[in-house]
Amino acid sequence: MMEFRTQGMNGYAVKYSPFFDSKIAVGAAANFGLVGNGRVYVLNLTPRGILAQQTWDTQDAVYDIAWSEKNENQMIAATGDGSVKLFDVSVPAGPVQQWHEHNREVYAVTWNLQTKDTFASSSWDGTIRVYSPERPQAILTLPTHSCTYSTQYSPHSPAVISSVTSDSHLRIFDLRTPASASNHLVHLIPIHGQPPTQGPSYNPLRPRHPPSEALTHDWNKYRDTVVATAGVDQIIRTFDIRNPRSGPVALLEGHKYAVRRITWSPHLSDTLLSASYDMTCRVWSDGSTMGHPTPQAPGQLPVPGRQLGEMGGHTEFVTGVDWCLFGAEGWCASTAWDERLLVWDVRATMGP
Amino acid sequence: MAGVKERLSSVLGHLNPTTPSNSRAALLQKNPDDIVITFAARTPLTKAKKGGLKDTRIDELVISLLTEVRQRSKIDPSVVEDVCLGNVLADGSAYIARSSVLAAGFPVTTAASVANRFCSSGLLAIQQIANQIATGCIDVGIAIGAESMSTCPDNGAPVGLSTKITEHEFAGQNLQPMGQTSENVAGDFSITREKMDKFAAESYQKAEISQKAGWSSDEILPTTVLWKDPKTGEVTTKILTQDDGPRHGTTAESLSKIRAAFPQWPPSQTTGGNASQLTDGAAAILLMKRSKAEELGQPIIGKYAGSTVVGLEPRIMGIGPYYAIPKILEKKGLAIADVDVFEINEAFASMGVFCVERLGLDRDKVNPRGGAIALGHPLGCTGARQVVTALSELRRRDQRIAVTSMCVGTGMGMAGVFVSEH
Repeated sequence: MMEFRTQGMNGYAVKYSPFFDSKIAVGAAANFGLVGNGRVYVLNLTPRGILAQQTWDTQDAVYDIAWSEKNENQMIAATGDGSVKLFDVSVPAGPVQQWHEHNREVYAVTWNLQTKDTFASSSWDGTIRVYSPERPQAILTLPTHSCTYSTQYSPHSPAVISSVTSDSHLRIFDLRTPASASNHLVHLIPIHGQPPTQGPSYNPLRPRHPPSEALTHDWNKYRDTVVATAGVDQIIRTFDIRNPRSGPVALLEGHKYAVRRITWSPHLSDTLLSASYDMTCRVWSDGSTMGHPTPQAPGQLPVPGRQLGEMGGHTEFVTGVDWCLFGAEGWCASTAWDERLLVWDVRATMGP
Repeated sequence: MAGVKERLSSVLGHLNPTTPSNSRAALLQKNPDDIVITFAARTPLTKAKKGGLKDTRIDELVISLLTEVRQRSKIDPSVVEDVCLGNVLADGSAYIARSSVLAAGFPVTTAASVANRFCSSGLLAIQQIANQIATGCIDVGIAIGAESMSTCPDNGAPVGLSTKITEHEFAGQNLQPMGQTSENVAGDFSITREKMDKFAAESYQKAEISQKAGWSSDEILPTTVLWKDPKTGEVTTKILTQDDGPRHGTTAESLSKIRAAFPQWPPSQTTGGNASQLTDGAAAILLMKRSKAEELGQPIIGKYAGSTVVGLEPRIMGIGPYYAIPKILEKKGLAIADVDVFEINEAFASMGVFCVERLGLDRDKVNPRGGAIALGHPLGCTGARQVVTALSELRRRDQRIAVTSMCVGTGMGMAGVFVSEH
């Protein structure tokens, strides 16, 4: 395990470069992101440890970052003052461009993985904004009417954007649909929705899940209709958007506090990694490679996923985690409020 | 942008989610449009044909209790707009309801109606009045449950039902007497005689402890009745203050010696000792909005938080609470652990054992003062009586949330949530 101290800064997000296996960006904030500055780090993994190549300070907290998929030197940062800033490693002085579109804290940014020419942000103000680096203003606004903690481009389609919000819903927007009153919204899936019950009779003791704030979600990298969500109720769920009304496909239970970040493996279709307020990162299988049919047959109970491993190296809330895209499958990085970035191998946390 | 406070409360919100315990906190909040209870009391429960109320007709029982409610609650009778009487057996119950209200000293402006869903009638009456208040039909109302099993015979299902009913898979099951449904539950779910007798003995023992400690003194109103001595025929005035059902010193061992009541229906495990008793009694609850109670200066003792009903196969009607309790808890976002006291009608020990075991209830929380096996089950009264008892027990324990539930003949279950504001 390698470590880097983000001295005086509490981590909020970590992302591996899509171009280099040794480059990591970290978004962080002073005073736990409650008040004060933020900072973006670009770090290099070297034989001499993790070294900072570049840092930029911002006026307000940095809550999320996303690498440009087009230019290996560029990344965007979501900040507490409502702005989204584009940084370039070759310009140490500060952001090369910024967009001030949101009225409240920006919690998430995501870069278009297919056409690579747009990016999006989501905010406490209940909107998702879509931008082009070439344009000074946002090119599209998608309303969610609820604090939007997480937004993602589908890795399989350049026109599909998803979000999860504090109203406990997963939204799927398809920008190919004509502009209309629905604002490109194609699916509105209640995350707390009842999983289908088995058999004809009503079981009064079946588990019940009241709505709770959703904080994070991610698209499966291999199965283009599978999305995982997680949040305050500590449960990670997977959904198959081909059957949006059928409820969750798998429930992964184990975290003791809210789940702050989840990310599917770039190497294995059933594996995902989570970071939680319970100070742990956990690696899970959603059970989809264990011989369960998918999509679900009607009336089938959600598959109980399985926790494969747990990393307890952090001593504060873990807020960010990401897989390395290159090399041996299993390397990842995590950041937490304990002012530490850890780089570790998931396989070392897994049992025999 | 948001200040420090808002960002902090956002993070705190992630750490203290809306778990059932937060629903509990929400339930305990006091809002002006809450349906509150400002008075709840009952008569003693006495054995049918033998006890103190055996010569008190249903109308006299209702008049006596309503008069006490009017006087003791100090409510201006003219603000009471409606009274709902939960009753199962009385002929002409609608006449009795309205006439008794007037005779009990309420003005002609006080209306009356009847609620009958068998053993849940008392709770149904509470629900009717609460719904009327919630929807603005009335501001103040009284729910009363009353039954005189001494004077009103229970003849079971009516004769001459359509063959469309009698030959129907489920409707036809309604011809089965209640005793048979108890045996069905014991047989279908393999509930042993030992478990049933143990459950029944616990009911007697709890009632004995409660009675000796005088826990029910704040739920029972001393009731003055005329009583005819069965030997001499002499009629005297009696003041009743105690339930006469609990037989002190009852043990599972002593109950095990009682012969089966229904040898014709296997497994024939139901006996006179592990089934509810035939009993007379009445209970009443005064309801209004919190804002109205404050305006009238009425003392708020509790809150009606909601109720629900479910249906199930009539032949196992006893397990109605097994469905009704999770349903009302789900509606209120509560977990079983959030509930401090369960008042579940012990129609038969078979259904009592099933519900407690399958729902995983803490036996100490269930019918802490004994249930219908020890105290008796005056059909129309029970639903209201359990609420009166639950509120009194919450006061004694200094706890807050009670769930009351009962199985209902013809295959239903009803459940309600009440909050004590002692």
